[in-house]
Amino acid sequence: MSDTEMQPRAEPLAGSLATVGLSKSFGGVRAVDDATVTFLPGKINAVIGPNGSGKTTYFNCVTGMIKPDSGSVSYRGNDITGRPPHRIAQAGIGRSFQLCRIFPRMTVLENMLVSVRSGTVLGKLVSARQRTDIDRARELLTRVGIDHLEHAEARDLSYGQQKLLELAGVLMADPETIMLDEPAGGVNPALIDRIGGLVRTLNSEGKTFLIVEHNMDMIMSLSDHIVVFDRGSPIAAGAPEVVQDDPRVLEAYLGV
Amino acid sequence: MRNDSSRTVVASSAAGWPRARVAKLTGLLALVVFVVAFPRMAADPFILSVGVIIMSYAVLATSWNFVGGFTGYISLGHASYSGLGGYATVLLILHTGVNPWLAMFLGGVIVALLAIPIGIASLRVRGASFVIVSIALVLILLLVFQSWGSFTGGSNGLRVPRPFGDEVLRPEQHERFFYLHAVLLAIAVLCWWLIDRSRFGTGLKAIREDEDKAQSLGVPTFAYKLVVFVISAFFTALGGGMYALWFGFLDPIFQFSILTGSYMVLMSLLGGIRNVFGPILGAVIVGYAMEFFKAQYGDTQIHLVALGVLLGIVVLFMPDGILPALRGLVIRFRPQATSIREVTQEELTRDATGSREESATDRGTGTKEEVSG
Ligand SMILES: Nc1ncnc2c1ncn2[C@@H]1O[C@H](COP(=O)(O)OP(=O)(O)O)[C@@H](O)[C@H]1O
Ligand SMILES: [Mg+2]
Repeated sequence: MSDTEMQPRAEPLAGSLATVGLSKSFGGVRAVDDATVTFLPGKINAVIGPNGSGKTTYFNCVTGMIKPDSGSVSYRGNDITGRPPHRIAQAGIGRSFQLCRIFPRMTVLENMLVSVRSGTVLGKLVSARQRTDIDRARELLTRVGIDHLEHAEARDLSYGQQKLLELAGVLMADPETIMLDEPAGGVNPALIDRIGGLVRTLNSEGKTFLIVEHNMDMIMSLSDHIVVFDRGSPIAAGAPEVVQDDPRVLEAYLGV
Repeated sequence: MRNDSSRTVVASSAAGWPRARVAKLTGLLALVVFVVAFPRMAADPFILSVGVIIMSYAVLATSWNFVGGFTGYISLGHASYSGLGGYATVLLILHTGVNPWLAMFLGGVIVALLAIPIGIASLRVRGASFVIVSIALVLILLLVFQSWGSFTGGSNGLRVPRPFGDEVLRPEQHERFFYLHAVLLAIAVLCWWLIDRSRFGTGLKAIREDEDKAQSLGVPTFAYKLVVFVISAFFTALGGGMYALWFGFLDPIFQFSILTGSYMVLMSLLGGIRNVFGPILGAVIVGYAMEFFKAQYGDTQIHLVALGVLLGIVVLFMPDGILPALRGLVIRFRPQATSIREVTQEELTRDATGSREESATDRGTGTKEEVSG
């Protein structure tokens, strides 16, 4: 596939996450405005744009946290518009939050055991925590490098460690698509490297990523495909080096 | 290489487990022995009856805590379920003549079924709205049961047929009901413990911490809340039914009282809602204090003032309740305990060095080059 084919289309690619005409207003503010975007499956997709350009709201609409006013979200050929968040999560879309959200009064290990990929309420009621789940949780904690803290309460972790915990918690459900809202926000450069490394490895294992990020070094080195948002709408999309030189992007960022 | 240091941290916290478990089991055993021995130790029937009342409160508070403790949804109207449980038990006995204990169980089932639509309606709203809906339900039930005299006995109340014959004397009645309540409490505690260690329980606690986040991780939050709400209503109704059988009389004004629900909340908060034994400890303290004030000052409202003050103190100085506060004290005075803060500081520097190696290896296996090339 060449990058020039990766323009946003109303026609979703097979197996991809895509939105058509997605819109959401808060009062008079059109936070997301007619967003038609197709993300590349199996790739690291970035969503960039100035503050307040609607990236987080767009993520919230896709993951069902907010009901869009109009438009549709499709995933792997299914219309998932307006489905409740847990259904979308169970369909295989995991997400992190811009201001890292973990369960502060639960231990690190308990945090890992929250996610549900399938099963009935009754099943969860009678099943004690499975050894296999705990082993998997420990494996992921080791992978992000906080396995030594499994008995600590999550609120006692540093912000960076909390971000790693949130990521590990999302991975617990083994989502095929992972949406990260500013994973590098507020963490030190060493940790940014580590998170970037994790994303790259996970991607090589087949995970699709959608990443909102302001750290341009990270975006340019990491992503295969970039979608640029401005005032709620996607204004450009393509490979990093293409988007980088797009005059509309420069205008949105620099106001020239 | 980096695993060496992490393993020591894990090992030291793992070594702490058995001792905590031994302490817990010892405490549990002491509690059981005390409960079994209490009726023998009680000086007179009055003390024994206070014991029954406290036991009943322990059952109700523990039942309340299925919702309050796990999900953080504070219901001030749980008297709805104890009251309905009481009335369902007694009306079943009066109208169908079934065995009183079967009636109590059926009462619990009926209330659990009623709790399904109530839960569906009320668990959609969070925070203050949920509290208000729960209060509104009690008030509605009070009005209904007061005015529907032909069925419920109305404001005149309803005499409850005794499950044990008249040949069983008062102190003996108290003793039997004390043990019966203890058994019910044990079942509720066991159920709480089972949920606590299940994946379902983890999901519920996640709802308490951050409901939207839990849902984003795939937890069907509404279904989870509803199931635990129904379980809570079931046990609360059993508690209400058993108390009715002991007390022998039902009056809507006491059955559907905001105060009863408030006691359940206060007791649980006082003892600590995160611990299975928190509500029980709270019931012992509040129940004893209330009976003490009533005995000392008669039927004035002074015990309410005292309770209000108590609640204020707890909220201000022990927001997590007595049990966690005690545990905090123990941990603080245990010399070998390292604070997690120290660990994180140490880990922070280790993290920084560790990540550089990692990202270096990752770069080798990364897919970036081929894509951007
Ligand atoms: N819950 C909300 N209520 C009202 N306005 C909101 C809300 N969330 C976002 N907005 C507004 O929507 C716009 C887009 O915000 P956001 O999606 O957070 O942008 P970004 O993530 O790109 O910085 C902003 O103008 C913001 O003020
Ligand atoms: Mg944002």
